[in-house]
Amino acid sequence: MPVFWIIIALLGLAAVGFLLGRRNALSSVEGNPTLLHSRPNYYGAGVALSALIPALFVLAVWLFVQPLLIDTRVSGAIPADAIPEGSTLGLVMNDVQRLASGLEQLQEMGRITGREITDLTTDGDIRARLGEIGFALGSDVRPEVLDAARQFRTLESTGRLFMTIVALVAAVAGFAINLSRVHRDKRARNQVEGVIKALLLASACIAILTTVGIVLSMLFESINFFRQYPITDFFFGTQWAPNFRGNSDLGIIPLLWGTMYISLIALLVAVPIGLFSAIYLSEYASRRFRAIAKPLIEVLAGIPTIVYGLFALLVVGPMLRDYFAQPMGLGNSGSSVMTAGLVMGIMLIPFVSSLSDDIISAVPQTMRDGSLGLGATKAETIRQVVIPAALPGIVGAILLAASRAIGETMIVVLGAGAAARLSLNPFEAMTTVTVKIVSQLTGDTNFASPETLVAFALGLTLFVITLGLNVIALVVVRRYREQYE
Amino acid sequence: MKDTRHEQRDTTMNDVKISASGVQVYYGDNHAIKDVDVEIKDKTVTAFIGPSGCGKSTFLRCLNRMNDTIDVARIEGDIRIDGEDIYDPNVDPVQLRAKVGMVFQKPNPFPKSIYDNVAYGPKIHGLARNKAELDEIVEKSLRRAAIWNEVKDRLQAAGTGLSGGQQQRLCIARAVATNPEVLLMDEPCSALDPIATSQVEELIDELRTNYSVVIVTHSMQQAARVSQKTAFFHLGNLVEYGDTDQIFTNPRDKRTESYITGRIG
Ligand SMILES: Nc1ncnc2c1ncn2[C@@H]1O[C@H](COP(=O)(O)OP(=O)(O)OP(=O)(O)O)[C@@H](O)[C@H]1O
Ligand SMILES: [Mg+2]
Repeated sequence: MPVFWIIIALLGLAAVGFLLGRRNALSSVEGNPTLLHSRPNYYGAGVALSALIPALFVLAVWLFVQPLLIDTRVSGAIPADAIPEGSTLGLVMNDVQRLASGLEQLQEMGRITGREITDLTTDGDIRARLGEIGFALGSDVRPEVLDAARQFRTLESTGRLFMTIVALVAAVAGFAINLSRVHRDKRARNQVEGVIKALLLASACIAILTTVGIVLSMLFESINFFRQYPITDFFFGTQWAPNFRGNSDLGIIPLLWGTMYISLIALLVAVPIGLFSAIYLSEYASRRFRAIAKPLIEVLAGIPTIVYGLFALLVVGPMLRDYFAQPMGLGNSGSSVMTAGLVMGIMLIPFVSSLSDDIISAVPQTMRDGSLGLGATKAETIRQVVIPAALPGIVGAILLAASRAIGETMIVVLGAGAAARLSLNPFEAMTTVTVKIVSQLTGDTNFASPETLVAFALGLTLFVITLGLNVIALVVVRRYREQYE
Repeated sequence: MKDTRHEQRDTTMNDVKISASGVQVYYGDNHAIKDVDVEIKDKTVTAFIGPSGCGKSTFLRCLNRMNDTIDVARIEGDIRIDGEDIYDPNVDPVQLRAKVGMVFQKPNPFPKSIYDNVAYGPKIHGLARNKAELDEIVEKSLRRAAIWNEVKDRLQAAGTGLSGGQQQRLCIARAVATNPEVLLMDEPCSALDPIATSQVEELIDELRTNYSVVIVTHSMQQAARVSQKTAFFHLGNLVEYGDTDQIFTNPRDKRTESYITGRIG
């Protein structure tokens, strides 16, 4: 039975369990639910869950373990001399699996019977028959592979059968045990709530484990990289000149400098404008103006960054060059740190303003009343009471904007270019860490050379920097927090 | 023209601090205060009593224009403090509120330290020339609000970390610190124990020598103890207003009598 149908069956069983559990609970108190320990639905849910959870667990584990076991069994049975020159056991096993699934498809389409498969020999042109249904094999089928594929198929189908049986037995057992325990004093609510709590915990763990996994994989690749490239040259090198024939200079300093420079300009644009517009919207604007202006500002957040990039490339860049850089004698580059920073700043305005606006509006009116009632002006109230109370949220908003700035790629490529450079002049082209990660991983790459592996070290550095930013913000907020209830 | 009328008022009723006439308040379609006339005397404690939802807080908030902060509120009528129309466009509500202080029904300490809560008003109005003077104002205000002993060792702790009754007294201290001429107190003792209550009542009595105090209360005993004048509100109407003794011993209106004897409310 395919997994899909097993799950449908389990759900059906659970539904029946729910109804029965509920009914039995009610009949144990002659239909008077107030005598039950929990609401009747909890008894039903308890039965349903004990039918579902063990069975689903069995399914999950089985689906994970079975292929591993079968693989070892089958590959153990392939004789060593059956592996052709220049091939490996792994490649042969690939052929076996592919042939097995091809046969499976043929059978499902009714073009071959189980009997025919057992009688199949390599003389019969299996390859052609599979080709008819659009299933291409790399080479002619060798007898050992055919045998292995047959064995593979038998093992798999027996495995499946057992899995179905075990899962259904587990479901029925759970169902029966729980149902037999339905009783007026059973703490059904506590049980169900325990299960729900476990589910929530599991979700939290998934999120955390994913992060850990990503970090670890980056860490291992980075370690690989540092085996081939000296760590001090990476962190303190001021030259970025990758060369795919080897002998590259892979110093991160110019990239970090570009990242920081562009992010700084972006935040200098976004934070004041965003914060002031948030204060205006939440404290001064009329209801009607706010209702119109807020969504309009938020539209900015919906524009894809590539569009901002085009804007930077076609409008802002040339304008800055013609009206500022050239007249001031600061160079004549169309792409510059300033271009990317300004455009990125515009992109970040809604992140700062929209979040800050929500947070400022959430400061209770009684707080403002208290200040106004003492004869403070509106400006004094905002500066001394409202903003301090909203500070943690505002810092959070700024931090979000900063992470976006640091991670942004498209605007940088189109606005500031892709040349790594270490310079103070804001009208020069520079580039950032993310851009270089992309360019090191695109094109013809060999995942063992330092020129490629450096991308992971760059990614890890970026991760550490954003993490550091978060920690700093947390400390700042802890220190200056003014908490209202 | 306007000036002569002012002078007239001032000479004829020079001990009237606040005079309200024909005051109507609407919250959207809800007519919360209906045609209230009242004259609140200087150097007197006036108590507002009445059942919950009858408009006591609403009327109190009209007296220092705190209703301006409520979008849906609309006020009609004439309210004068020292003969000056406080709803005149020339009047700056900020100055008005510095003169007419308020303790709100719900304690609303700022999320700052206890010290900063009390120092907030004096700092804004420049009442202290240096830190020492500010310290003195803070201490004096906290003492007057009967909370000094409880907080003197933790002036830098957060005001929001105090208990409900302590927060209430902190808000009283905060209001007293700015030296208002009129103090509006909306149920200032609702969360206080009998000892703190009597200390706050002493403060109110002491304030009376220089200021006028308006207090909203649900305790008949408190109204009888601290006030000289009492106003009884019912369903947005000012039913009866007079000397406290007279209201409590010899009410003229049936509704007043039922309320103070505990039959409506
Ligand atoms: N901010 C507001 N918006 C709309 N309606 C309000 C608002 N504040 C008060 N009201 C309405 O005005 C009426 C009077 O309310 P008010 O707060 O003045 O009563 P109160 O006499 O102070 O009652 P309590 O003794 O319970 O404090 C009530 O009907 C209330 O629903
Ligand atoms: Mg009230």
